[in-house]
Amino acid sequence: MKGEEQKTNLPRVLVIDDEVAIQRFLKTALDTGDYSVHLADSAHAGLAAAVGVRPDVILLDLGLPDLDGVEVIRRVREWSQVPIIVISVREREDEKVQALDAGADDYLTKPFGIGELLARIKVVLRRSLQQAPEPVFEAGELRVDLPHRRVTVRGEEVQLTPTEYELLRMLVTHAGKVLTHSQILRQIWGVAYLEQPHVLRVNISNLRRKIESDASRPRHILTEAGVGYRLKSE
Amino acid sequence: MSKSDGTSTLETAVLRSRPHSAWYGGAVGYAASSALVALATLLCDQARPYLSPVNMVMGYLLVVVLAALFLGRRPALLSALLGVLAFDFFFVPPRLSFQIADKEYLVTFLALFTVGLVISSLVAKARESLDALRVRERQTASLYRLSRDLAAATDTASLAKAAVANLEDSLGGQVALILGPEEELALAAASQGFTMVPETLLVAQWCLRSRRLAGAGTDSYGSDRLTYVPLKALAETHGVLALGLEEHDVGLDVELQRLLNTYATQIAMALERLRLLRQAQETRILKERENLERALLNSISHDLRTPLTAITGALSAVLEEGDKLNTASRDELLQTAREEAARLNRFVGNLLDMTRLQAGVLQLKKEPCDVQDLIGTALATVEPRLAGIAVSVRLAPELPLVSLDFVLMLQVLVNLLDNALKHAVAGGELEIAARVVGERLEIGVADRGPGVPEADLARIFEKFYRTPVPEVVGGTGLGLSICRGIVEAHGGSIRAERREGKGLRIVVEVPLGIAAEGIADEG
Repeated sequence: MKGEEQKTNLPRVLVIDDEVAIQRFLKTALDTGDYSVHLADSAHAGLAAAVGVRPDVILLDLGLPDLDGVEVIRRVREWSQVPIIVISVREREDEKVQALDAGADDYLTKPFGIGELLARIKVVLRRSLQQAPEPVFEAGELRVDLPHRRVTVRGEEVQLTPTEYELLRMLVTHAGKVLTHSQILRQIWGVAYLEQPHVLRVNISNLRRKIESDASRPRHILTEAGVGYRLKSE
Repeated sequence: MSKSDGTSTLETAVLRSRPHSAWYGGAVGYAASSALVALATLLCDQARPYLSPVNMVMGYLLVVVLAALFLGRRPALLSALLGVLAFDFFFVPPRLSFQIADKEYLVTFLALFTVGLVISSLVAKARESLDALRVRERQTASLYRLSRDLAAATDTASLAKAAVANLEDSLGGQVALILGPEEELALAAASQGFTMVPETLLVAQWCLRSRRLAGAGTDSYGSDRLTYVPLKALAETHGVLALGLEEHDVGLDVELQRLLNTYATQIAMALERLRLLRQAQETRILKERENLERALLNSISHDLRTPLTAITGALSAVLEEGDKLNTASRDELLQTAREEAARLNRFVGNLLDMTRLQAGVLQLKKEPCDVQDLIGTALATVEPRLAGIAVSVRLAPELPLVSLDFVLMLQVLVNLLDNALKHAVAGGELEIAARVVGERLEIGVADRGPGVPEADLARIFEKFYRTPVPEVVGGTGLGLSICRGIVEAHGGSIRAERREGKGLRIVVEVPLGIAAEGIADEG
């Protein structure tokens, strides 16, 4: 499983998937000079490769024959913070939430295009490389200045409630990454609010009204149906 | 199941008794006729000063007629005989002796006796046929009641109950209906207090197998306390009617057997009718399912093959003819392949949704949902297919959070938008509107496409319905029926209406649910 180019400086991508067609597609699409690709066709082979290859990012299919994908995430997380991007199908929202709550960084829904995949890999790699988050987040007309707690849209300052600001700050520090409902509720409101999803809905709705130019067609805070929210980073 | 005719015990007894009933026969009849003769003798004795003995014969004749009318044939004969003797003893000189002074009186005796004989037999015959007529009339009435109640029954259980109630009423005694094929005979209904003992089942099985009467009053299993009548229909025997008749020691006469068989036939025919009805229904359901499956197969093979053909064609063109193609046409082909793959993916998604809906495994995960978020997410999902089409969103102010399964309702909106997009032309527009009406949320998705004929408005939610428009539109005919399934699972409804001017509007209504809190500022 170990590639010869292990010593090169290219970021190493470990693909754990038992489908030959997917392996072939990912290998071809990623192996274009930007990444070195390593393949594992089972959960156990993948766990071994995670130790041997020391990948910079893991692409994990949740439907593996020998072990539940969520369990693979837990085992990797016992000793490593390597970014994990999960590959799942539309009907399995629960599975995605479980994987994210277990420590996966992001997910892709089958079928997906290579552009989407490359964008996700770029986001998780950038975040895992940088030590502290960027102090200022900018996307389109939205600008969030963390040190000064200043949020502006088209240069105009937006007044946010403390909760709305905390919510936005959490999204900004995880820009590009999907955050599950329970992850947000736990961090902003505390464990007691895990069963109170409406406070999250109401605050997201209010936040959108303040920072989106059309709250019915949001460009910044995107909803991941049945999973959570994602702040678009570019 | 009415027995409102108020049939009295007397009548029910008459219903199944022989015309010459035990009630009037026997000692009572003879005693009554003797009393009548005695009474006539007393009266004649009082009239002796005024009447000649010969005319007293008329009094005795009257007695014979009365006895024949009310007491039957034999008491009448007795009264004729007693009349002759009394006349001789009390009135023919020498009185108080059987001796006859004038031998002419022998003619009077003979005439009195013969006339008595003839009258009694004639009158009795008339009465017997009247009795028989009455019995038949009552039997007909009870059969009519039975057939009426059986016809009203819509299932085996109510039919059995009606039959038991009716026969109880008509025959008196206990009644039980044991139904089923031989191996699984079981009590379907019975009189109160009836208990099924193993022997009963045994005799019932024999009766069913042999298709003959059994039990009390018959030659087979005559010692059983019940009489068993097979419920014979044309081809099969549906079960057994078990009856606790009172006179089981005496054999069942032909009349009663005929009656019981008539009852049994009525019940058997009713059971047969129910069975055929059930069969017809099953056949219809089966046929409908077959049609559906055929439509499904057609749809699947069409909707899977069309995009696959396009993908295969495009990819093989790029692979095999790649050198001859310029970049633009290469891109065009690959673009086609990708779009068709996306379409294939949507179709497979719909197929899975349909399967889950039909299998009944769909579990709603209701949570408070922001309607604006729902609509925004749906629009983001169809974004790549929105090219050149304007979408206007009209939301009522202060929409509350609504208790919904976000993912499934998103699927509904995406399907509705996809459907509207199919009919939209470049530069066209779609309209989404949401508002609260009473205790319900109403979301409408409207297009300016060709619309749907008025007559088809309700049909568009049926599986595999496709609008009668050119083939280019495509579509699986599944999307809207999935929408209906999901909306109905939410306790809501979906309908289609024609828009003023042109186009179609689909309106979804769902209950607000308990999450109906204001979305006003908080925190």
